[in-house]
Amino acid sequence: MKMSNISGWKDVFNFTLVQTLKSKAFIIGYIIFVIFSLLIFPVMNYVLDKDTEDGGLIKIKSVHVFNETEIKNIDFDKISNLENVVNDLKFIPEDRNYEDVLEEIETEKEPSVALKISKDEGTYILHFTKSTGGIVKNAELELLGNAVKESFERAIIDYADISDAQLKVVKSQVTSRISTVGKEIDSEGNEIVVEDTSISYNDYWFLYGVIFALLMITIMASSKIATSIVMEKSSKVIEQLLISVKPLAIVVGKTLATLVAVLIQFISIIVLAFVSNKITSNAMSQQNGNVIENYINPEIVNNLGVDNILICLIIMALGIIFYSTLAALAGSTASRVEEMGESLSLFTIASLIGAYIGMGAAGSLMGMGDNPFVYFALIFPLSSPFILPGAVLLGKSSILITIISVILLIISIILLFNFTAKVYETLILHTGNRIKIKELFKMAKNSKEGQI
Amino acid sequence: MALSVQNLTKKYGEKVVVDNLSFEMNKPGVFALLGTNGAGKTTTIRIILGMLSYNSGKVLWDGKPFDAINMSVGYLAEERGLYPKYSLLDQLLYFAKLRNVPKKEAIKRIKYWSERLLVEEYVFPPKTRRGRNTKSNRAEQLSKGNQQKIQLMAALLADPQFLILDEPLSGLDPVNTDLFKQIIREEIAKEKYLIMSSHQMPTIEEFCSDIVILDRGKTVLQGNLNEIKKDYGRVNLFIKADKDINEHISQLGIKIQNKTPSEYHLKVQNEEQAMALLSKLIEEKIPVVKFELREPSLHEIFVEKVGNVHEDE
Repeated sequence: MKMSNISGWKDVFNFTLVQTLKSKAFIIGYIIFVIFSLLIFPVMNYVLDKDTEDGGLIKIKSVHVFNETEIKNIDFDKISNLENVVNDLKFIPEDRNYEDVLEEIETEKEPSVALKISKDEGTYILHFTKSTGGIVKNAELELLGNAVKESFERAIIDYADISDAQLKVVKSQVTSRISTVGKEIDSEGNEIVVEDTSISYNDYWFLYGVIFALLMITIMASSKIATSIVMEKSSKVIEQLLISVKPLAIVVGKTLATLVAVLIQFISIIVLAFVSNKITSNAMSQQNGNVIENYINPEIVNNLGVDNILICLIIMALGIIFYSTLAALAGSTASRVEEMGESLSLFTIASLIGAYIGMGAAGSLMGMGDNPFVYFALIFPLSSPFILPGAVLLGKSSILITIISVILLIISIILLFNFTAKVYETLILHTGNRIKIKELFKMAKNSKEGQI
Repeated sequence: MALSVQNLTKKYGEKVVVDNLSFEMNKPGVFALLGTNGAGKTTTIRIILGMLSYNSGKVLWDGKPFDAINMSVGYLAEERGLYPKYSLLDQLLYFAKLRNVPKKEAIKRIKYWSERLLVEEYVFPPKTRRGRNTKSNRAEQLSKGNQQKIQLMAALLADPQFLILDEPLSGLDPVNTDLFKQIIREEIAKEKYLIMSSHQMPTIEEFCSDIVILDRGKTVLQGNLNEIKKDYGRVNLFIKADKDINEHISQLGIKIQNKTPSEYHLKVQNEEQAMALLSKLIEEKIPVVKFELREPSLHEIFVEKVGNVHEDE
């Protein structure tokens, strides 16, 4: 690829960027994203505040206790004022008829429930009954059930008269470790064990969300470039452009302009979301603290340093460049806008394969931890743009893997550009039937670049 | 300064679309690139402008390889191309920037040409009090003729020394045709080099000094238009007489090209044959109202040349 083939790309870049930023679609989309970013945390906090108003997540005021077991020493006082969960909850021991109490609960204005503690074949059952009016939510009973269960377990231990030392032995954790014969001990005399490298269910969904978001961003950016190229071809503007710049300069200018437009949107969303979180956390609710920290794995929050964010943006940018070039190539095989869907099948299949490999790797990371498939997904240029940013934030990609992945992605982009340079000149002026992939390779083989 | 196209050949697979084409433009003026549809005119233009690669041959400007990107070139493509949704001013400024015209100068030139081509109200639409355009400034809402004017502006913005006009007058009304012709005359007067491709033969005859006629990629005729016509000789005879002269025409073996109630268009073999007919009519005392002997028109030459090739096949 000669540098003269891309001379003039800056003019294409400037025009495309300005027209993209001026377009109604971009402005409307941007306003929606800005509003979403600014409102997401106040709304989340409002919802949480609403749940905790009146002093706690559990709004139940009284629990009527029917204890049919031998365990009578349950410490309900500990549950009555659990911080941020329960406020001034009354536990009322009952000797009345169970059915009468249920009738009373049904008619009471204040939210109350019945708790029947029973034993069935060696199993203790904590049975909560609520009114049919829907004042008490199932989620509240689940929280209350966990708190009561904890106190009840403590009461069982006290009833059994087990000392703390005995309890410690009973509660000792049992874990299994795997090692290979002859390799149990390393040079320093430490036992070599297989570390648990799997990710949690929440981390899996985080990774899945990142892959999906990047797939959406990549498809949106790449489709925009392909549409723009087909539009220039179908409106014949391309002939006006080609007397001033080479076709490859048009691809480079358009790709980078779209990339900048996407990054402007993306970075604005992230910055505004952080600002929104900060303002919301400080001003609106002291009780819930930092909303991001409440919902995202603390390890991810710790990994959100400038260096990691920069690495993620670089990988994202390289991914968009890679897929946009592929979309530009695919788009140029069509002569009319109506043919675009069919011509983009190459790009669509490639991006979906990449995203599915990423999603598969995320699943296997949750089930098996680090494994060869995950390493493959992290360095394979089709999948790395989707999975690598999330893996970096989860701390699941080592520096070496990240570097190898970035290098492979750059090499792929250069190879793709070289291929594009060979066929694009013929493609961009082609009218008539859509060119098939087989013909593309034939064109590249027969191309005599630089003959002009 | 001159354009020289030497032995240019372009193939798509086994199909030869331009076959060993050679021509030169040694002096400013208009060169006509003619041919039937699919003859290879647009492909030749695209090759000259560097949009397409070619299999063999050379395109030189002043003895050096032609480089449209770094030269002063303007191009009015056959199929008009403007961004339908973008403002006309934005895209004209973009085209000017691509041709390295500074923004200030570009605006000055856009103003000049938009006034000249009577499209100022679209390029610089007056604003309402609220700052909105009173008229659309986007290409998609312009008539075909007005889009063509904008396209011509784009070609002329860089004040190019070498201008290629592919079907410049197609689809224009008579008023705008005259406007375009006037601008072309002005460009010729500025000693510019123009290549024009058109199916309107009278227009080509009006402007062009040299021509090349292509048919399926092959050159079937080329040279100076006046000399080509001279070579053909004055073989078109338009004659009008007060009496029926059919018998005299057939006696001399002259071919009747066309006959109207008042006039004959005859194809003579040479001037002597025409003079023989005239002498015969005078001898017979038949009053001759009109006797005009002239060279064949470009239209006739074109049809003859391209038609001959097809007939041979």
